Amino acid sequence: MAAKARILIIDDDDDYRASTRALLEAEGYEVTEVSSGRAGVELARQQKFDLLVVDIMMESPVEGYSVVQALRSAASDEGGDLPIVMVSSVREDPAARFPMAEEMPLITPDAYLTKPLDIPKFLACVKRMLGQ
Amino acid sequence: MTAVATPDELIIVIDDDQTMRRACEATLARAGYRVETYADGASGLQRIQQQHPALLIVDLKMPGMGGIEVINRVREIDPQIVIVVITGFATVGTAVEAMKSGAYDFIPKPFTAEELRAIVARAMERWHLSQEAARLRREKEAQARKFITFVSHQLQSPLAAVRQYLDVLTHLMGTEIPVQQRQWIERCRQKIAEMLEIIADWLTLSKVEGGQLATQRVSVSWSELLPSVLEGLGPAAEQKQIALENALPPDLPPVIGDPAALRMVLQNLVSNAIKYGRSGGYVRVSGSADAQSVRLAVSDDGIGIAPEHQAQVFEEFYRVKDGSTAGISGTGMGLPICKKIAAELGGRIELESAPGHGSTFTVVLPRGSAAPSG
Repeated sequence: MAAKARILIIDDDDDYRASTRALLEAEGYEVTEVSSGRAGVELARQQKFDLLVVDIMMESPVEGYSVVQALRSAASDEGGDLPIVMVSSVREDPAARFPMAEEMPLITPDAYLTKPLDIPKFLACVKRMLGQ
Repeated sequence: MTAVATPDELIIVIDDDQTMRRACEATLARAGYRVETYADGASGLQRIQQQHPALLIVDLKMPGMGGIEVINRVREIDPQIVIVVITGFATVGTAVEAMKSGAYDFIPKPFTAEELRAIVARAMERWHLSQEAARLRREKEAQARKFITFVSHQLQSPLAAVRQYLDVLTHLMGTEIPVQQRQWIERCRQKIAEMLEIIADWLTLSKVEGGQLATQRVSVSWSELLPSVLEGLGPAAEQKQIALENALPPDLPPVIGDPAALRMVLQNLVSNAIKYGRSGGYVRVSGSADAQSVRLAVSDDGIGIAPEHQAQVFEEFYRVKDGSTAGISGTGMGLPICKKIAAELGGRIELESAPGHGSTFTVVLPRGSAAPSG
């Protein structure tokens, strides 16, 4: 039987982490949560995760991206690939956020969703990211 | 006397009399101002087009283009330029006319250097005040926008968190919760969704007003935007058994605008048409073009809008409240947003409607020619 996929949630919103965690655990995933970008990057270096769900805003709009960047550098250092789902409470066109997506692969997530999560969409996205 | 102008502030003097020009230039330069003089209206105006002065001193009576005409032209170029007219001994009547045309003050010939300096000082003070007022207005607008952005994010975050709790609750425990309680949870979710919509629309409206939305100017084809909009609204239309019809002519010319903003307009109009449409009826999107403009029309055969409400539906927060609209939710900001976006792009929205006979909203935009890049 395949090991449970490990998901790391990085978001400073306690409530969001709690409800998302409950959702993912009910689907059978193993979930870890941290409330800051820094803690998330450190944890991702120490342990292996199969998927990251990262909030875009946290303390500042920039933090989400720099977290993504740091995580990707860490993952590629170890020769791995890390699917990252970015979540945002800001409703806007993702293309506006990532106009230079092609030129900046390090900084772009693999998927971009808005809060509150559309549950079926989110779960389908997670499944897809985990290659299931 | 201390100069009160900064190096950027220019005074322009237009007078056909050379002695007068030299005298003004000497007096004002000595007082520390930056001065340029011109012998006629045409050359003065040419310079003013290039560099807006803070102050224009112009002789009322000149051969060729007279002072009044110069004033009118300058007001068109930049109404903020302060104008002082030089009048002859017996032309008080024309001085009054000049003031009515927009001159700030007048100085009758002959005048002393001191009189000139005094008038110029007052005029420059006036210039500084209007610049300050413009700056304060811009600051106020920027602050209002920051406030709205801040507040809306502060409101959106907790609402999104609550909504997500409710969603996950229903998802995980839906079957275990008694029917009535599940309905209450559903009502909570709906209320929160409404609030989130109001906040998002309020933010959008403030961005459109602040010129932060609809910023791109590229070639946009309605035919490209429509299919995905119709697809997204499919479920809502199905619920009311409304047929969505894409009746756009295949050769409808493009318009110049911001794709995201135009998509928003389309989304708003079609969504409204469904909301106020008739069960079992239709929502049809059609279009046409002439030499100057492209028209996009969204029609429904629903409840329509009474003439007395038609002007007001484009006003912020206005929603028609009568028996026929009971139960229809909305933020009252969709149409104002559409109207502002259309206006921003040089167009407008027209409305044709009658109670019980549905409505047609038409977006009229200038036809796009060769698209500017970016």
